[in-house]
Amino acid sequence: MPPLTVPLALIIFAAGAVAGGLGIVLGLGGGILLVPFLSLALGFPLKSAAAISLTTVIATSSAVAAARAGNQLMNLRLGMLLEVATVAGGLLGGITAQAIAESTLQRIFGLVAIVVAVIVLGRINRRNVICDANADPGRLGGRFYDAESGCVVTYRVRRLPLALFASFVAGNLSSLLGIGGGVIKVPILNAWCGVPLRAAAATSALMIGVTATGGAIIYYGRGDLQALAAAPAVLGVQIGSWAGMRFAEHASVRWLKVLMAAVLMVVAGLMFARSGP
Amino acid sequence: MRSSDGRDAGRLEKVIGRVMWIGTVTSSACFAAGLFLTIIGRGGTLARVLLPAGLFILLATPAARVIVSVVEYISERDWLFVALTLTVLLALAASVWAAFL
Repeated sequence: MPPLTVPLALIIFAAGAVAGGLGIVLGLGGGILLVPFLSLALGFPLKSAAAISLTTVIATSSAVAAARAGNQLMNLRLGMLLEVATVAGGLLGGITAQAIAESTLQRIFGLVAIVVAVIVLGRINRRNVICDANADPGRLGGRFYDAESGCVVTYRVRRLPLALFASFVAGNLSSLLGIGGGVIKVPILNAWCGVPLRAAAATSALMIGVTATGGAIIYYGRGDLQALAAAPAVLGVQIGSWAGMRFAEHASVRWLKVLMAAVLMVVAGLMFARSGP
Repeated sequence: MRSSDGRDAGRLEKVIGRVMWIGTVTSSACFAAGLFLTIIGRGGTLARVLLPAGLFILLATPAARVIVSVVEYISERDWLFVALTLTVLLALAASVWAAFL
């Protein structure tokens, strides 16, 4: 781990702001951008980068939940049900991370980025909203006002076992790689489980805080997480997210998906390049 | 029982929003103060208390959200969700156990 000097803290702060802003606009946690930067550019071991990133994931989750509360986009029950799977996956990932080599973690990170990019591109025009305020959302579904289509959207949750499995994997990768896990859950919830993109993103944003907390506690206990490194990252991400939230309202979903895929492919390439032959 | 659009879900959402807001602001304030003291070269005892305190509050905020949810689901007598929420809390407790053992 590089020594934590004042210039380094300022660089971490700036990186957090950029990652947080782009993360919000892309519908990611920001971790998938911050971890590679901390690891590839600043020389943090992937485990420490993941630990720092997890604290920013928690901060983003809490801030987004505080801002979104009241507009019914977050599906609290679906979130809590899926959290059982993400937290279990997270616990396992946090323990596994202690035993895995750096180059293996880098390859997993690269693979995850590619898989997610492919999923996102493959399902680019999927819109599964019912513009009917009186339709039955079922026990786990939801209803919210969608500004983009200008109507009250009702949705039902389909293929719950798939949603639970995706959440377990997302939780596992969250702890292991320091990402929020929204990159796994949101496309799957959106494409196959009937949850509209905005509702899936808001629910995932709420969930990743609890998932990341489990992982961050493990890293802290094992000495991979320092408050002095977490502080500038968290503050940077908070400011970046705040700025990004203002921009995200005006950005189109289709454009966001293309940008998301492109960023993921670049990250994957860099990770593979660094992991060696 | 029809959940996400019921008035109870709306109330829980507001309480959660408040908890998350307080947690976010408090932990960020601790981080900002601790980091500022460190940067101006006064990273003494106060900074060494503020920075870990910010981290602790940060980690406690999502846990607090889960605890608030348990209380709400108990008052709604939705036992399935009481059980699910307690399972999430138990898993967080298991992380603490895995971290320090």
